[in-house]
Amino acid sequence: MIRLIVRKEVLENLLSLRFVLSLLLVVATFAVGGFAFVSKYEQQMQDYSVDSNKSLTGLRNGTGQLIRLAFYTQEVYRAPTPLTLCVEGSEKSIPNHYEFNSFSRACPAIKGRGNALLFGLCDVDWVFIVSMFLSFAALVFAHDSLSGEKEAGTLALLLAGSVPRFRILLAKYIAIMLTLGIPLLAGILVNLLIVTRSSAVAIHAHEWLKILTVVLMSFLCLSVFVVLGMFVSSRAKRSVISMVILLFVWVGVVIVIPSSGRTVAQTFRTVPTQSQLQRQINDAKARVWEDAGAGKYGERAGVGSNDITQCNPEGRARIRNDTAEQQNRLIDEHVSRMIEQVAVGRQFTRISPVEIYRQACETIAGTGIQRFSQLCHQTARYQADFMEFLRSRDSEDPESLHLLFDEGYAYTWKTISRKSVDWDAVPKFQEQNLTLGQSIRLAVWDIGLLILFNLAFFAAAFVSFSHYDPR
Amino acid sequence: MIWKIAKKEFLLSLMTFKFVIGAVVCIVLTGVFVPILARDYQQRLKTYHGNVAREESELRKVKVYRNIMPTVFRPPCLLSVFSEGLEKRVDDSAKVELEKVPVMRAAAAQRNPYQSIFPIFDASLIFRIVISILALLVAYDAISGERERGTLKLTLSGTVGRHEILLGKLLAGSMVLVVAVTLVFVIASILLLSFPMVSLTGSDWVRIGLMYLVSLVFTAAMYNTGLMLSCLAKRSAVSLVLGLFLWILFVVVVPNGSVSIASQMHPLRPQEEIDAQLTALKQDFEREFRAARPSSMGNASQSDAGDAFGRWYHRKLNKDAMDYYSQSYRAQASLGVKYADKSWELERAGLNDLAEQKRLANVLSRVSPVCLYESAMSRLAGTDIGSLEAFAGAVQEYRSRVVEYIRAKTNDFSATSLFTPYTFEQMQTLQREGEDPPLNLSDFPGFQYEANVLQSLRRAIPDLGLLVFANLLFFALSFVAFMKYDVR
Repeated sequence: MIRLIVRKEVLENLLSLRFVLSLLLVVATFAVGGFAFVSKYEQQMQDYSVDSNKSLTGLRNGTGQLIRLAFYTQEVYRAPTPLTLCVEGSEKSIPNHYEFNSFSRACPAIKGRGNALLFGLCDVDWVFIVSMFLSFAALVFAHDSLSGEKEAGTLALLLAGSVPRFRILLAKYIAIMLTLGIPLLAGILVNLLIVTRSSAVAIHAHEWLKILTVVLMSFLCLSVFVVLGMFVSSRAKRSVISMVILLFVWVGVVIVIPSSGRTVAQTFRTVPTQSQLQRQINDAKARVWEDAGAGKYGERAGVGSNDITQCNPEGRARIRNDTAEQQNRLIDEHVSRMIEQVAVGRQFTRISPVEIYRQACETIAGTGIQRFSQLCHQTARYQADFMEFLRSRDSEDPESLHLLFDEGYAYTWKTISRKSVDWDAVPKFQEQNLTLGQSIRLAVWDIGLLILFNLAFFAAAFVSFSHYDPR
Repeated sequence: MIWKIAKKEFLLSLMTFKFVIGAVVCIVLTGVFVPILARDYQQRLKTYHGNVAREESELRKVKVYRNIMPTVFRPPCLLSVFSEGLEKRVDDSAKVELEKVPVMRAAAAQRNPYQSIFPIFDASLIFRIVISILALLVAYDAISGERERGTLKLTLSGTVGRHEILLGKLLAGSMVLVVAVTLVFVIASILLLSFPMVSLTGSDWVRIGLMYLVSLVFTAAMYNTGLMLSCLAKRSAVSLVLGLFLWILFVVVVPNGSVSIASQMHPLRPQEEIDAQLTALKQDFEREFRAARPSSMGNASQSDAGDAFGRWYHRKLNKDAMDYYSQSYRAQASLGVKYADKSWELERAGLNDLAEQKRLANVLSRVSPVCLYESAMSRLAGTDIGSLEAFAGAVQEYRSRVVEYIRAKTNDFSATSLFTPYTFEQMQTLQREGEDPPLNLSDFPGFQYEANVLQSLRRAIPDLGLLVFANLLFFALSFVAFMKYDVR
């Protein structure tokens, strides 16, 4: 019986105006998104390879002398990933450029061709299409699933047969999901066709698995809206009323709540400005120098001159290392405070299933602000490893004084080795991506929440439909 | 007759479920978000006053002319509560110094730049989204719903002209929506006034009045769209579906589509190109400077001390140092001013690039009344590109006044007060204990910036005109469609 109802519903939906409009809109947007992604990705790959090659060549040039390696400012860029096709994660607004030498690091910055004046949700990724267009279509299909049949008079006839109410509900749910699956899958296919035809975009096997997981998540998100629509439909006597309620719920869930993230974040957490951070760094450095003047680092440690006999190199080294450490600490604190502020906003917006879906997809695909904070940790660890490498190489050289600190005097006083280094032995930065299993484990709460939403609304719809008057 | 139809329609629409829900949602959203936005504005105003006071106290401490580098701040715009625009996306401060022209960087000075991942929320969101949906819901069954109920043929069987019915419905719909729009504006204004630090000047009220007018025109345009769809469809379900898809097109597709198309059509020059040109210019400056300053310092000795703005100055100098520095700083200052203007040309080209792309996106998005409304609101609120460019212009003009002032006071950068408080002779004779006295800057030019209402209005007129045109267009189309409408 379920199959019969499903077949009838699906055929009816396929021949309706709303299906044609949704199909056109969704497939057209997927196609446009695909083309836009290809051109953007080619540009990004080009920029990325040029920039990272420049940095690597510079590093290689430094292998002539260990001390040059120590002072070389490496630039690490975030590699473009094809998974931004599915969920871009606002990567345009997130820093992608990490600059550091072996002693200190700078605040991560955005380098690229972006135009910050041109804002708007202009990343037409899959998550955007699903959360804006398909969720809307889901509500349009579901709003009159029960109340519309009642108005047409056919619900009473249907129930007069021996069809249990639960089966009717389930059949309608399956039918709407099938109807929505057609534009979604068609659009994704068109999109993937366009993207894979381009030579610049290379998708590896583990990335295909992640894409598949994102598609499954999209079905889960749509299912929440379908079930919500059926629930409201079962509460309303006329379909216009359910449409009105659902429209306003959609506006609240998809537009208002995600936008309120910023204001919530600002209200509950404050972050100092860049100029305040700079002042804090200057104060911390001044304190170190004051201590040096008071003799904490040994006598004559504050003296800087080209004549090594007048100075205290060890003390100077310690002063410089302390100032570098203070700066690094303050910058790390600042970055983590900013990330925390954003995280508070994101936590709040998880009231909306659309936001849960978006954040889960970002975790699975490994893009967005999570990737940024992982890269921050990874670059910090790499910097520490690099320093270890420098120290071990330097200790093998009997000529150097084995004092590594960030100042020109390291050259003149010969405190760091000048031996050349083998290029293959130098550690190079490699970004480590999470595997699918690890990302799913991180996103498990979100997936669970979406399933919970589904079950809750379905149960509510069932209870409500059981009391529904079909006459 | 028009008035009778209008009155009946008005009372009917006012008492419906959809209007009540829409009005409640509007009121709740206004009541929740306007205080939050106003409190954020208050915070920014406090920071602004603190910054200005700090700069003034620094200015009172400065001892030599070359260390005068105050920072000017853009006062936060109160009306960004209504339409945020670019308010938080561009630097709100600019440093005024001899050797650099102040440039407004985009997105550099936000407290937390990572917050750009959240979409923007301001009061105009309530209009763009909620009230436009309300207008569509009120309008979609104006004609087709009456046809389904059977009352349309009864009305037309009297001696009522078709145009009277349409005009009556337009009047009624507009009155209903005026109620909603007015409620939102009144509640927002009351909430704003209840904040102690918020003070609305006359020009602010004029702006709010203009924004109210623009909101009314926008809601009328959305109502007319719904009315047109109602006249085109035989059943209200069809007109509702069409209306909703048109709405999604206007609200989501066109804004984002215009942005992506503009980025494709007008690709930006990479920052590296501009940076390379700037570096070349800097090298030219270094070269000229090395040629102009004396080659050796001779037997110079000096002692320095700290000054305002985090700089330092020369406290004591011997003859050689005095001669060296007076030539060196003079060359540096005059060359610096010259090269600052040159590098400004380069930076401005880059900024024009960004602004061009934004303008292109703006033009492309004029298809949608929602985008027209958004840009008109941001222009009236003073948070659009034009206002920011006006502020940047004011800052530059201020810088040239400061440069002229310093030039006059130091006799074209040749006086020693440029880099040290006393002349050589005074240094030998005067007893100096403790701090040196600061400069007398009583006639130093102050920075004033007032946003001009008339200019904002002039910038907003094209959008307003297009909205009025959209109104007329949709109404004309519904008129034509209704003339042929089969009412049975």
